[in-house]
Amino acid sequence: MSDAYAQETTLVREDSNYVDRALDTTIALTIVSFLLGLLTAIQVVALTTGGNALTTLHLQLLAVVGGGIGTVGVLSWLGVVPITDQRVRGIGIGLVLSLLGLTILSVVLPVTMASLFGIVLLLEAAAVLTAGVLSWQGLFDTDPSPSAGLVAGIAFGIIGLLIGAAFGGMFLPSIAFSFGLPDGTLVSVDFAHLLPALVVGVALAAATIAPREDLGTAIPTMVLVGGLGLVILTGAIGPGWTWSPGEDIDGSFTGQIVIPLFVLVGSVVSSWGAAKARAGYGAVGRQFGSYLVIYLNAATMVAIMVSIVAFVLMKGLNYAFHGVTIGALSALVLLAPLLAVVVDWARTPAGTPDWHAGARQAFRAIPVVLVGGLAGWLAFLQVTGGRFAVPFQYTVKLPNENTNEVLDTAATITSEPTVGTLVVIFSGLLLTWYFLRKYGSLRSVGTQSDRLADVERWIGIAVGVTLLLSAVLLVLPPVLEVGVLFGVELFVWLNVDTIARPVVSVLVPVGAVAAISLAVLAIQTLVVGSGRMADRAFEGVHRIRVGLFGGVGLLAAVTIAQPSVGVNPRIGPWDIVPAVALVGAALAFTAGIVTAALARSADDRLERVLRKESALGLAATTGFVVVAALHVAVTWVDFTVAGVTVGVTGTLSWPMTMSSYIPLVPEPGGILPAVVGTVWLVVGAALFAVPLGVGAAVFLTEYAEQGKFTGLVEVATNSLWSTPSVVFGLFGAAFLIPRLGEQESLLTGMLVLGFMLLPLVLITSREAIKSVPDEYRDASAALGVSKWETVKSVVLPAAVPGVITGVILGVGRIAGETAPLILVLGSTLNETSVVDVLGAFRFVGHPPFVANDMLLASSPAVPTQIWAIISAGVAGSTSMGWGSALVLLLIVLTFYAVGIVTRSYFRRKLNYE
Amino acid sequence: MRRTWALLLVFAIPTRIVGSLRDLLRRIAAALRTVAEYVWVRLVRLKRILLGTNPSRSEAAFSLLLLTSIAGVVGTFLFDQSLVAYPLVGMVGLGVVGWGTYQARTAKLLMLFATIATVLTIGFITYFLFERAWTPIQEFGLNLLAIPRHGDTGEPRWFFFLDWLDVLPVTAEGNVSGWDPRNGYYSLLAAAWATVIVTVIAVLVAGPLGVLGALFIAEIASDRVRSVVKPAIEILAGIPSIVYGFIGFAVLNTFMSDTFLDPGASFLIAGLVVGVMALPTVVSVSEDALSAVPDSMRDGSAAMGATNWQTMKSISLPAAFSGISAAIILGLGRALGETMAVAAIMSGGANFARPLYDIFDQSVTLTSRIATSYGSSTGMTKDVLFVAGVMLFSIVAVMSLLAQYVERRMERQLQGEQ
Repeated sequence: MSDAYAQETTLVREDSNYVDRALDTTIALTIVSFLLGLLTAIQVVALTTGGNALTTLHLQLLAVVGGGIGTVGVLSWLGVVPITDQRVRGIGIGLVLSLLGLTILSVVLPVTMASLFGIVLLLEAAAVLTAGVLSWQGLFDTDPSPSAGLVAGIAFGIIGLLIGAAFGGMFLPSIAFSFGLPDGTLVSVDFAHLLPALVVGVALAAATIAPREDLGTAIPTMVLVGGLGLVILTGAIGPGWTWSPGEDIDGSFTGQIVIPLFVLVGSVVSSWGAAKARAGYGAVGRQFGSYLVIYLNAATMVAIMVSIVAFVLMKGLNYAFHGVTIGALSALVLLAPLLAVVVDWARTPAGTPDWHAGARQAFRAIPVVLVGGLAGWLAFLQVTGGRFAVPFQYTVKLPNENTNEVLDTAATITSEPTVGTLVVIFSGLLLTWYFLRKYGSLRSVGTQSDRLADVERWIGIAVGVTLLLSAVLLVLPPVLEVGVLFGVELFVWLNVDTIARPVVSVLVPVGAVAAISLAVLAIQTLVVGSGRMADRAFEGVHRIRVGLFGGVGLLAAVTIAQPSVGVNPRIGPWDIVPAVALVGAALAFTAGIVTAALARSADDRLERVLRKESALGLAATTGFVVVAALHVAVTWVDFTVAGVTVGVTGTLSWPMTMSSYIPLVPEPGGILPAVVGTVWLVVGAALFAVPLGVGAAVFLTEYAEQGKFTGLVEVATNSLWSTPSVVFGLFGAAFLIPRLGEQESLLTGMLVLGFMLLPLVLITSREAIKSVPDEYRDASAALGVSKWETVKSVVLPAAVPGVITGVILGVGRIAGETAPLILVLGSTLNETSVVDVLGAFRFVGHPPFVANDMLLASSPAVPTQIWAIISAGVAGSTSMGWGSALVLLLIVLTFYAVGIVTRSYFRRKLNYE
Repeated sequence: MRRTWALLLVFAIPTRIVGSLRDLLRRIAAALRTVAEYVWVRLVRLKRILLGTNPSRSEAAFSLLLLTSIAGVVGTFLFDQSLVAYPLVGMVGLGVVGWGTYQARTAKLLMLFATIATVLTIGFITYFLFERAWTPIQEFGLNLLAIPRHGDTGEPRWFFFLDWLDVLPVTAEGNVSGWDPRNGYYSLLAAAWATVIVTVIAVLVAGPLGVLGALFIAEIASDRVRSVVKPAIEILAGIPSIVYGFIGFAVLNTFMSDTFLDPGASFLIAGLVVGVMALPTVVSVSEDALSAVPDSMRDGSAAMGATNWQTMKSISLPAAFSGISAAIILGLGRALGETMAVAAIMSGGANFARPLYDIFDQSVTLTSRIATSYGSSTGMTKDVLFVAGVMLFSIVAVMSLLAQYVERRMERQLQGEQ
């Protein structure tokens, strides 16, 4: 709605009188009874609760609500959080009052929860009726319409129909008519339901529509809510009540669920009536009433979402996190990217410079303080060699027995001076990316010489050749055997290792020396020369850039080359690569710090360049550290410096996802094979679907003529998107399995999930590409840029955020897919071996030349693991199921959270620009 | 006189015949030319797409090579997978080479390949489903949706669905579900009926709640609230169905047997859970529809002095009505295709509900029939499951087409009114 008039109008008179206050309290009472109804419906509170237990319950609620509202009240009185709206004040006070009243009632009267509900409903009905009558008599200032309206009438009519049918079925004798059908069956229709249903329905609808609006709201509300209240209060329907709708019906309605449902319906209806009265009936009253219902609905939906996630978390937490251990050092390393995030958040402008800007600044600084404090504590643990453990218990199922056992376990922080490669690489890559984003580009400043450009090109070629060589060496077997060629039996053996090993052994030190000299070049640019250091940094920015990035690139390339032939050149006790990487990191860090220091006292433009150079230095620092960790990861040799070890096995241990199932012992191990399987499935599906989907989207949007064909494809992809997932499974079983080895396999699973992902990637990419304004294309065309160049350098970069978001959300969706996987991947329980896809690539002498047994074998996945537990029935371990469900939920929600954050981030960026 | 007539006859008639023949020929020629031109234009356009407007000889040769290798990849994958490596290597090699030399051309052809692969995927899914389903359809025909037979007479009982209370649908062998692969009975009717019950309950939950939720997000919520509620709904859509299924299996079934004294698993709880799962679809599509209603319409209403609720009720909702019905249709489709939650909750029972409207009973739906029976079945049973797949696929496809048509129409109408 346009902003011009969309501001809050004063719907209700500023000053409240006693009737208004009473109605506010009624609304508050309905909210309380709605909540209590929900609590009893999910059996958190029993309906038979009475006496002290009931009083305690209400006192607890009173304490919670009173505390919350009291705090707000004090803050409001002090003027810190001013609450001026009379409605909000009234409902707030009403909440406290109604809980106080309920507490008193539960003390004074010998009531149970159920009979208290009856009283509450009667009170609500009476309040709404009183308001209606007062308004009808003109004792209270209202503006009612001639009728309460058709919508309300129909709604009450339907409720009346249901109630009439139920009561008729319960209390009236059967009035059945039977007649025969041509094929000899006998059909009987029972009017015992039909007649009272019609009578009650029509009566309620008439009572709503016929009188003036105030009575038309009050009377049906009173009849309905009061009736429900009476039924509950008199015990006609009590907690132990049951009613079967028919002899053949398998289930019955019990008071356990019927009473809470009555309370929920009664609360909603009476809150609607009270809200209408509060706003003086008429158009404004209707709006107030319907908004209340809509708000309740929205709150319920969010509550459903939160409670599902919270419930799985609660149930699965203990099992999923049994035996979690992390070294303080690893935790520190993992904290580093988080620190970068909170620092960035704290740096965003802190609002207007009025009196509470200070408060906002403090608020922004709090996360940094928290992360810093945590880091300090972890460092303390690390240095003192302490140990911190949170003990808890979890239930496991004994193997081959249907009994459970409760085991003790703990979440621990240890102080081993070791950090794992994965942790370092993960944190390091995030930080590198973060600093690179800060760095941006320095293309237009400084002096660029031809020689430097040559050096840059040669570095690129060297890195490319090295990587290519390693890839070839990795794929080739140690001894190459060329089989039958042209019908002649010609065997050639080629010992690849004997040839390649010396070459790589020389290549690695050469590359390392080149890398370190490049890093030195960067420092030398800063240190050596005439004039101010800041000016040298400004002029030599390209030498610094090429030096640092070239160094990291070369070193990374030779590091990756090492495992292809299994060498690890060393000088004396030191491995060359990590030593060089650490020296490089020190040099780059020096460059980063020096430029940051220079930036403090530089003028505006220079400062900006220097800050970017500093980011460049830090990015190179983390890059070198990542290379050092990469070295450990690929050569399987730890290295230790200053007492800290970067090790193949780190100190982060999460048994649930990092160990396999251990048969025949109560200690359950984890679901590592399933997690690895899911990761491979997702990776494979994305590799298959993303290029196809994005390519097709570009072609359909930019190249193809917009006409029947594109329209048809769009309609078809939309239909494909809503096709049930199990149908994709059938397709995979019919089309892929016969073509890919006649058995359930990982590759089939990947492709089927890829087929599911394809329409989503196509749809979102098309939308993203379409939303790029035509002005961009026109401007590019006006500059004489060719179509493809325009697409490549104008359209695609502008569309990338949308595409990425779509892919992430789509991947989140397919990561949890189960039905198609059951058909094409099978479901296995408690798998003990992990698929090793990368290691299984083999070179074979006949088509298709590259074989991979792992891809063609079945694999577990997290969703199918849960399904296996379900279908195992009593033999399945429920606690393990909850643990697996939590892990799956964490995986999927991480994708969603990342997708949603990415989207809002890019959107905000687009809006600002 | 006579002679003149005769001459006239001799000359004029043949002339007319010849003339009309010539005319005919001319017309045929013209028609042929049009066809030829049409084909030629198409060919030229195809050539432009495939080879470029004005390709050099080497570029055209390169394009042809790449096209051949692409066709080779598709063809070998379909017919002889062992050969797929050769054209694939050729395609990748040509792609790498082309990226350096004819980048625009290579990119375009590769994107064309992506498009063709996507279209082929859609075609293949349809074809292979129907192909596998064809054998049982031929063999059994309508028996796949067999009407149950009367226990005594063996007559088909066409009015069994009116037969609310006491008589069970029974086949000749006394098999109540009609699903008995061992004896060659493959009736999907019980599963289809279960699907209907679950879907109806789900839509009764998801429809009203979803539309109210969409009203809240599109019309009432402030930007800040919206930025919280919308992602929450999206996350609700992201919770995997197996997790819902596990919650149902481990907790809700017990809850239901406590409160409704039924055996636990029931249509009611499955329908409620599927309803919650279909909720996000309904919310987001109807929210899109409501947001598509132009602000000028709301402004007009407000200028007449209407309250926000009146505007919502009498302007936005009617204007977005088609979009909202599309949302409910899509929600229906989502509920129809839901598999794992249903399979996990209703893990036992395969018969008709008795009586048919008993929502406390349990049975398998079409989807859970496929998911639970596929692994252990062979031969004809598997093929019959494909019939279930075809049924789901066709119904959901029709629903999706309907929803898209309704949405388009609404878009056109609203744009027309602007």
